[in-house]
Amino acid sequence: MLHRAGFLLATGHPLRIMSHPLDSIFRPRSVAVIGASNSPEKFGYIILKNILEAGFRGPVYPVNPKAAEILGRPCTPSIADLPPGVDLAVIIIPAKAVPQAVAEAGQRGIQSAIIISGGFAEAGEAGAALQREVVEASRRSGVRIVGPNCQGVNIPPHGLCASWPLLTEQGEIAVISQSGTVGAALMDWASQEHVGCSAFVSLGNRCDVDETDLIDYLAQDANTRAIAAYLEGIKDLDRFRRVVSGCTKPIVILKSGRTAEGRRAAESHTRSLAGRDELYTALFRQLRIHRADSLEDLYDAAKALAYLPRPAGRRILTITSSGGSGILATDWAEWSGLQVAPLPGPVAETLRSLLPAHCIVANPLDLTGDGTAALYRKVVEATAPHFDYQVIIFGDPILQAADVVTPGAPQLVIFLGGAEVERQERARMHQKKVPVFPTPERGIRALARLFAFDGVAA
Amino acid sequence: MTRPPAGDRTRWLPEAEAFRLLAGYRLPVIAHRLATTPEEAAQAARDLGCPVALKVVSPEIPHKSDVGGVRLNVATPEDAGAAFTTILDRLTPHPSRLTIQGILVAKMAAPGTEVIVGMVRDPQFGPAVMVGLGGIFVELYQDVAFRLPPLSPAEARAMLGELKAAPLLTGYRGQPPRDLDALAACACAVARIAAEHPEIREIDLNPIIAHERGCMIVDAKILVHE
Repeated sequence: MLHRAGFLLATGHPLRIMSHPLDSIFRPRSVAVIGASNSPEKFGYIILKNILEAGFRGPVYPVNPKAAEILGRPCTPSIADLPPGVDLAVIIIPAKAVPQAVAEAGQRGIQSAIIISGGFAEAGEAGAALQREVVEASRRSGVRIVGPNCQGVNIPPHGLCASWPLLTEQGEIAVISQSGTVGAALMDWASQEHVGCSAFVSLGNRCDVDETDLIDYLAQDANTRAIAAYLEGIKDLDRFRRVVSGCTKPIVILKSGRTAEGRRAAESHTRSLAGRDELYTALFRQLRIHRADSLEDLYDAAKALAYLPRPAGRRILTITSSGGSGILATDWAEWSGLQVAPLPGPVAETLRSLLPAHCIVANPLDLTGDGTAALYRKVVEATAPHFDYQVIIFGDPILQAADVVTPGAPQLVIFLGGAEVERQERARMHQKKVPVFPTPERGIRALARLFAFDGVAA
Repeated sequence: MTRPPAGDRTRWLPEAEAFRLLAGYRLPVIAHRLATTPEEAAQAARDLGCPVALKVVSPEIPHKSDVGGVRLNVATPEDAGAAFTTILDRLTPHPSRLTIQGILVAKMAAPGTEVIVGMVRDPQFGPAVMVGLGGIFVELYQDVAFRLPPLSPAEARAMLGELKAAPLLTGYRGQPPRDLDALAACACAVARIAAEHPEIREIDLNPIIAHERGCMIVDAKILVHE
């Protein structure tokens, strides 16, 4: 199998041109699972199984001194016995053995390690001391570390699910998360809807690789169009500012711990008002980072930023089969600073001649309960030149709805009340890379993200 | 309540010193004199022109109006002399328990919209500049915007535009619009002060009275690390 940006040597051994220090995490040639296990409830089993089932194309080496084979793969007794050319180690062994494993991985030429094991800085002073040993081993050996105490890495375009649950849907959203579960939830939604992800990295205790390293990588990753992150704090603010300033891809961050932190009774008004959260707000705004205020908002914003085209302006036309949804969309549009402009007279006349008499030719344009894909298409074509964005709300089980929308066109699609037809058409649209939002509120708020930094000095 | 933040060797600059530092950055500071006797207060009022404001100057009293340390709109030099005495008599805690450097006599600024410009130095973020609707209700309304320097005049204008009270500055209900460029210049100067004076921990310019042309800083608190 030929790898991207690579070529095959006569030996059949894939060789890639290493273009980024973190390539060994995102696009390893081969993977060793240190602490692979035969017990189905253990992560050493689950992760090996997920790597195999996600369709990783390179060699996979379970390492376990006691087992002959696991999941049909022959075991290697120790890291030292691994063949040369292993790029990535996934480490799932007791914490006290991890520093040694990192050192051995370095000696074997392994470039990066994902440490799933817990029992480090999150677990008191003894754990913190062990983590310092890991950092020391990493520095000495040059092995880059993700984690420890993390949920691993999942790179669908590379078939590398060194994480759980098993999710393989490819897409253009990269997920960085300081919480394994929060990141997995996001990726789960994206898989469920066939939106998919380009990468998921669980930061864990981020003793080495941090959010800034990952943004630096993802900024140049061909599979990623938008970066979504859940963070509790930023590890190195100066480097973060520098790297994000140079990143041209949209970033949306859900930053938790927003209440009370950093506030205290203070002498100056400025001090009393300058909680950490206000400073994060200022920082994000200046770096043009979108700020999400819930997990759903993070997901919706990432979808919009990855897949919706840039709008030319704020004038929207809502086309709906549901009057109520049209009004909800209009309310949210007004609150979000979008312009619900009236239909130009001649366009309205044309539409009246095209549509059944009971359709309401206005903005929102209501096709009423018997809106069909054919009617939608007529309206979409006739009005496209006159608005910056069309908000297309499918408010019923509208068959072939996916044929109405055009990938890359300035169209926001909202689908609700369509049951099984909705689920099928939504999947079809997502496969066409047209994002679909579940409610007028979530759709319009996601669209408004595209205007968030209008007028903000660069 | 009247101590600088705990655990730090910090002190509030006496207001006259704070004004001098601000004036050095070409910021518009209200005309003022420091008086140590009722007679000096009366003379200062005469020189500056009435009405004047009198404010007690003590590093231990950052919120002067909370302790009866401020008199506004004093109409005559004689009243200024009397106000000097009244302030010290009614001050709580009693002046004998405080370090009092005198009473600042300042010209009353023409009426306008009260704005706050501030700065705080955060251990992780470094300096952050704040603008907001000023006056004594700042913390009640929390109508403020923050930026991390460097700060351009355009960005400072954008901060003012973000305030819920922005219409108060751009001409609300027949009032004249306020000088946004002058306010933006204050914010930019505060960012510069933060960059050039690492020993300054916090700045509160509150209120700045915004006028149709220009603005005037009438109260300034600057916290320095020793």
